[in-house]
Amino acid sequence: MTTFFAILFTVATLTLVIGLGLKIAQYARTPAPLKIPTTPAPLTKPGVAFRLAREAVVFESLFKANKPLWIFAALFHFGLAVVLVRHVRYFQTEVGPLVALVQPLALPAGLAMLIGLLLLLGRRLVLERIRYITGRSDILMLVLLLGIAVTGMFMTKHVHTDVVAVKAFFTGLLGFEIRSLPGDPLLVVHLLLVAILMIVFPFSKLLHAPGLFFSPTRNQTDTPREHRHLCDWAAKLEDKRS
Amino acid sequence: MAYTSKGASIEADEEGYLININEWNEELADQIAKDEGITMSTEHWEVVNFLREYYAEYQIAPAVRVLTKAIAKKMGPDKGSNKYLYELFPYGPGKQACKIAGLPKPTGCV
Amino acid sequence: MAAPFDTPVLGDVDERRIPALKVGAMAESKPYVATAAHQEPLGFPGVLEDGWEKKAIGRMGELLGKYRSLQVFMDICVKCGACTDKCQYFLGTGDPKNMPVARADLFRSVYRRYFTTAGKLTPGLVGARDMTKEVLDEWFNYFHQCSQCRRCSVFCPSGIDTAEISMAARDIMDTIGQGQKYCNEIIGKVHKVGNNLGLPAPALLNTLEGLEEDILDETGVPVKLPIDVHGAEVLLVTPSADFFAEPHVLGLIGYAKVFHAAGVSWTLSTLASEAGNFGMFIGNYEQMRKISMRIRDAALALGVKRIIFGECGHAWRVAYSFLNTLAGPWDFLDPRYPVPQHILEFTNDLITRKGIKLDKSGNDGMVLTVHDSCNVARGARMGDRPGGQFTIPRDVIRASVPKLIDMHPDTICEKTFCCGGGGGVLTDELLDLRLKGALPRMEAIKEVADRDQVNFVAMICAICKAQFTKVLPYYGFKMSMAGGVHQLVSTAIVLGNEQ
Repeated sequence: MTTFFAILFTVATLTLVIGLGLKIAQYARTPAPLKIPTTPAPLTKPGVAFRLAREAVVFESLFKANKPLWIFAALFHFGLAVVLVRHVRYFQTEVGPLVALVQPLALPAGLAMLIGLLLLLGRRLVLERIRYITGRSDILMLVLLLGIAVTGMFMTKHVHTDVVAVKAFFTGLLGFEIRSLPGDPLLVVHLLLVAILMIVFPFSKLLHAPGLFFSPTRNQTDTPREHRHLCDWAAKLEDKRS
Repeated sequence: MAYTSKGASIEADEEGYLININEWNEELADQIAKDEGITMSTEHWEVVNFLREYYAEYQIAPAVRVLTKAIAKKMGPDKGSNKYLYELFPYGPGKQACKIAGLPKPTGCV
Repeated sequence: MAAPFDTPVLGDVDERRIPALKVGAMAESKPYVATAAHQEPLGFPGVLEDGWEKKAIGRMGELLGKYRSLQVFMDICVKCGACTDKCQYFLGTGDPKNMPVARADLFRSVYRRYFTTAGKLTPGLVGARDMTKEVLDEWFNYFHQCSQCRRCSVFCPSGIDTAEISMAARDIMDTIGQGQKYCNEIIGKVHKVGNNLGLPAPALLNTLEGLEEDILDETGVPVKLPIDVHGAEVLLVTPSADFFAEPHVLGLIGYAKVFHAAGVSWTLSTLASEAGNFGMFIGNYEQMRKISMRIRDAALALGVKRIIFGECGHAWRVAYSFLNTLAGPWDFLDPRYPVPQHILEFTNDLITRKGIKLDKSGNDGMVLTVHDSCNVARGARMGDRPGGQFTIPRDVIRASVPKLIDMHPDTICEKTFCCGGGGGVLTDELLDLRLKGALPRMEAIKEVADRDQVNFVAMICAICKAQFTKVLPYYGFKMSMAGGVHQLVSTAIVLGNEQ
C-alpha cells in the first residue's frame, strides 16, 4: 500500500507539473496577433495586473453575470483555498505562520467547499439551461471533488486517521524516502481521488486556473494607437509587402 | 432559381435578382413585382425606369436620396420622399425596386 | 423573399426574462453559401472539395498555433453557464445552441477530438466529435447566428470571447470552400470597386455633388464634400452606406458641416471609400490587412496629415484596435493626433474648445436615447480614458439635443445589446434571426419610449442604422426613429458665422 501510493503520488506530481508546464508554455508561446481586450480596459500594465487580480480573487466578471452562481463559486473556491493552505502542514516539518493562521478555519472552509460543490452540482441538475450544457465530464469532476471533500471532512470530524504518520509519509516522499502510510480506508480513498485529480488537471477544464492569466481579453492593455502591436508571424507578412 | 418570360428561361440568384441584367423585360418586371405582392402602377414604373437609366450610366443603383430627388422632379415634390417610396416598395425602395428593375442587389450596411 | 415568421412579443426589461429552451428552433436558419464567383477572387476554393475534413482540421491546427485567444479559449471553459442568458440571439430565439457556451462547443467538440488527449482517448466522456458534413452544416448555421458583439466576453469569468471562435470557424469554412455569400461578395467588391456597396467613382462623385446642392438649398451655405483632394489636412474614411442609404447620409452631411464650421480642410478618397472591413467578420487576418492597406495607400497618395473615421461600429474596432498593427506605422502623419481618430472625438473636441457652435433648438421636441454600438463599446475606445466610448457620444448628444435618457443599465455601455444585425448577419435571408436578435434592444427602447416619451434612438454604426430601420417597424416603432449622432449635430450646428 505504501509503495503503491509512493509511486502514485510521484507519477501524479510529475503529470501535474510537466503537463501544466507544457500547457503554460504553449499558452505563452502562442502569439496574440491583435489587441482584443474587452473594453473598457486598463491602459497600463499595473492596471492589467489589477484587473487580473480582481478576476482571480473576487471573480469580477462572474459577479456581473450571475449573483447566485458567484456565491456558489466563491463558497467552493475560497473554501478550497483555505483547505489547500491548511494541507501544507503535511509537507512541512515546521508548520508555517499562514498554515497556523488558517488552522481554526479548517472546518468552516471544508463545509463551505462542500456546500459550494453541492450547490454547483444541484444547479447542473435543476436548471434547464445548465443541464443542456453539462457533459458527463462536468458531473464527474464535481463528483471527484465532492469525494475528496467528503472523505477529508470525515477524517477531520469523525474517523480520525494518524495524521502524524501521513505527514511522515509525505515529508519522507519529498526527500525520496519511503515511510509507512496508514491503511485507513477513508484515507486511501481520499488520497486516491486526490491523485486522480492531479493527473487529470492538465487534461481538463481545470486549466481555467492558469488559463485565465493568458486570456487576451483580460491580460492586454488598451494601447493600440499608442504602441504598434506586431507579432512575429504578422511581421513576416510585412516583409512580403516591401 | 429562374424565371420564365416570353418563352425563355431567365436565370436569377437565390433571392430572385437577375444574373444578367440584359435579360430583363417589362413583362418580367410585372412578374417579379407580382411575386413581391406589388401591382405595377405608373409611379412604380417611373421608379423602375429611373433606376435602369441611372444604372446604365453609373453601373450602380442610385443612392436613396438621388432617387427621391429624381422622383420629386418627375412626379411632384409631395412624392419625393423616402416615405412615399416605402409606400410603393414596402420592403425598401433600394432592394425591392432593384429586383423588379432587374438590377443587382445593393450590398453592404444598407 | 424571406420566409414568413413571427415577431416576438416585447417583455419587461427589468424581469430579465430568460426563455425556455426551444431545441432546434433556429436549426434551419442559415445564410446563402458563397458561390465560386464570390470565393475565388478572395483566394478561397470555389466549392467544398473531397478531403475537406482533413483540410479543415489542418487549418484549425494552424489557427490554434497563431491565435492565443483561440488556443486558450478552447481549453479553459468550465461550463459554468454565466454566459447562457447573455446572447441576444438566445434571448430572442430560445435555441440553446445560441447560448455562447453551446455555440463555442460546436467548435470545441471538434478541437477536443483532434487536439486533446482526453478527446482522442475518451470522446464520449468529454463530448468530442469527428469533423463531418453534419458538423460542418451546424457550424455554418450557428456561427452565422453570432454577431461577434462580445457581450458574452464581458460576463465570462475567464474572458472567453465567442467572437474569436466564430471568426476562426468562419475562416476555416472559407478555407475549405464553404464561405458566406454576404460577406465574401462584399469583400470582393471592396477589392474590385473600393467599397462594400460597389459604388464606382463616377457614381460617388455624382452623389456627393447632389448632396452639396441639397445642403446649399437647405442652409444657404456652400458646404463642400471634397473627394481626392491632394494636400487636405484630414482624410475621412466612412462606411459607403453613408453615401447611399437613409438615415446614414444625414450623418455624412453632419460630418461635412462640422468640417466646414471648424474650417478644417478634409477629403474623402475614391480609393478608400469604405470604412467597413468585413475581413474581421470572416476572421481572416490577410483579408483584413489587405482592406486596411487601402487606407494607408490613400493617406500616402493624398498627403493628408490626419485620418478620421466616420460612424461605423466594426470599422472603428478595426481602426482603433487593429489599424496600427495591420497598416502602421503612421509616422508620416501629424504626431499631435491619435491615428486614427473617430469623428466623435473630433467633434467633441471642437465643442469643448468652442470651435463650433451648436444650437439645441434645432432638435426641439426630441427625446433621445443612445444605443451603444457593440464593437465600439466592447472592442474599442474613444478619447484618452477607458469608457470614453460611452461618455463622448453622450456629451456630443447633450450638446445637440434638449433631452437624453439612458436605457436600462443592463442594456447600455459595456452591457449593450447588439442591434441584431452585426458581424455579417445583416442580410435579408437572415431577417428572422435579425428580428429575434433585436428583441432585448427593442424591449429596452420600449421601456423608455413608454416611460419617458423617448422618440429617437441615436447610434454610431452603419449596420445598426440599417438594422434598426428594418426591424423597428416590426415592433411597432417608426423607422425614422433611428439615426446617427452626426445627424443630430447636423441639425443643431450653427453655420454661416465662420471665416
